[in-house]
Amino acid sequence: MFAQLFSAVILGIEAQLVEVQCDIANGLPSFQIVGLPEKEISESRERIRSAIKNSGYTFPSKRITANLAPADLRKEGVGFDLPIALGILMASGQLSHVSNRYLITGELSLDSKIRPVHGVLPMVLAARQAGVNGAILPQPNAVEAALVEGIPIYPVRILSEAAALLTGEKEPVPYVINRSALMTRHPQSSAAALNAIKGQEQAKRALEIAAAGEHNLLMIGPPGAGKSLLAHALLDILPPLSFDEALEVTQIYSIAHRLDRHTPLITQRPFRSPHHTISYAGMVGGGHGLPAPGEITLSHHGVLFLDELPEFDRRVLETLRQPLEDRSILLSRAGASILYPCDFSLVAAMNPCPCGHLGDRLKPCTCTLYDLRRYRRRISGPFLDRIDLFVEVPRLTPEELLNRPEGEDVATVRDRVLQARERQRERMKKEVKSSSNAQLDAKKIGEYCVLVDDAKEFLRMAIERFAMSARAYTRVLKVAKTVADLESQSVIRAEHLAEALQYRSIGKTEL
Amino acid sequence: MNKEYMNIRGEKAEEQACRHLRKLGYKIVARNWHSFFGEIDIIARDDDTLVFIEVKSRHSLSYGSPEESLTPEKQKRIIATACIYLNQIEDQVPVRFDFVSIHKGNVTLYQNAFQID
Repeated sequence: MFAQLFSAVILGIEAQLVEVQCDIANGLPSFQIVGLPEKEISESRERIRSAIKNSGYTFPSKRITANLAPADLRKEGVGFDLPIALGILMASGQLSHVSNRYLITGELSLDSKIRPVHGVLPMVLAARQAGVNGAILPQPNAVEAALVEGIPIYPVRILSEAAALLTGEKEPVPYVINRSALMTRHPQSSAAALNAIKGQEQAKRALEIAAAGEHNLLMIGPPGAGKSLLAHALLDILPPLSFDEALEVTQIYSIAHRLDRHTPLITQRPFRSPHHTISYAGMVGGGHGLPAPGEITLSHHGVLFLDELPEFDRRVLETLRQPLEDRSILLSRAGASILYPCDFSLVAAMNPCPCGHLGDRLKPCTCTLYDLRRYRRRISGPFLDRIDLFVEVPRLTPEELLNRPEGEDVATVRDRVLQARERQRERMKKEVKSSSNAQLDAKKIGEYCVLVDDAKEFLRMAIERFAMSARAYTRVLKVAKTVADLESQSVIRAEHLAEALQYRSIGKTEL
Repeated sequence: MNKEYMNIRGEKAEEQACRHLRKLGYKIVARNWHSFFGEIDIIARDDDTLVFIEVKSRHSLSYGSPEESLTPEKQKRIIATACIYLNQIEDQVPVRFDFVSIHKGNVTLYQNAFQID
């Protein structure tokens, strides 16, 4: 006898529906799972055997074959326990056949309790796409699954409950949550509010420009000047995540096994600050079997902060170049090739020299010219080319240290950033590849960055004076456009250019 | 303790197992069925199911319990022999493997003692 149910397998941040077919035939009693199952799925036979026995059903002593179709797709994860168990019960005639198509996932424990699984959100999204009638899944995953609109969610605790639900013996009551309440429940944290940081007005302004135009930022300064604090403050002035963005971030954390039960929806932009000893697989993603997402994917729609930039392995930094351009990364491995999104804002920090005091007012730098050159060489030119904003974060003056921090209200800055973002989105509606100034390519810059006449003259002088390359020219234009956007101006004026030129490089500590 | 004596003891145990199984409603089909791979002590029918039964008796536990003697290798030999029986005699029936342990005259039946993985 034969039975068929649906489950799903995770591929990257998406899921694919899998048919779970069970056949029971006469012959030597055996239980086999075919269809490229990984070890944890083959092991599920023992869990299924015990769970069926311990929930009052009998495990048929016949020739049982479970097939996971499509058979050429490698299957990982423990979510197949429940569908296979239910399939066996149906094929052996202990449950009546059902006409409804359900997505079923869940790990079984030996006493037939259903344990939570990872990646429920993408599975339910895939199920909705495929038009199944509902999803039967573990109770602890219910909130995460219910984030998806338009598909009823049926949480279950034990195997017999799932069986009753499947056959219609138990009235199915869909689980619902208040989606908008989830979005408003967590306001953006203000662990490091911008206006609580002392001094560093230029760096704060650079952060605002970075937030408004999605520009990447490099801060250079001596130890203890507040670089890390400033990086955290960026989170505060970034516009809040939209529901769809939050869903995307949650999806990534769901498959990365990092979603915690109490925050089913991630409503805050992620802030990732990996240590400089990180491997390249940790940074961009990798690992055996299906490649896991790396730090750049975990900081999708958020901030990736690289403190002590020159200490990072050069190979790791170089791997960032392409994802910074494409905002996604294709990981091709023997098992599968997977595309992960990685649209993050890069904030990097470094000391001006190995001892950290080059250009310091008080402490003399003890580095030799050779030390300095070697330190700077650790970061390649092509990598620095992808950074639009350079800002110096100098030692604070005694007055700045002693006085209470003052500055604009965070909400004011955030509003300005939000409006600048809106202007850009409106302007670049018809673009496929870009939605912010930082993402403009050389061709589009001419189209969008219009200068008034005296600004043109000013730029001409600047190009000559600073011997600017073509690349430096486009960077200055992009930043100037964001500065103009922050002031709600549709054309670039000389003063916008003048400000943009400040972030081109760092005066005495030229990079 | 010579080989002949052991064989007699084995046969006595199997006789005792058969009596026990008949009482439970099993119908004995064959005994000591040989193949190239080994021997199945009892083949019986329990309702529709064809049951292959291994009998083991121990008078002392010095060498482990009878249950412990059913090693994976032993299981493999029984399964291989059962395959040949199914091929030669009859196919397409539900099949089960039982184990009868006899210790100091106490008969214990393990239904569905092992399966093929």
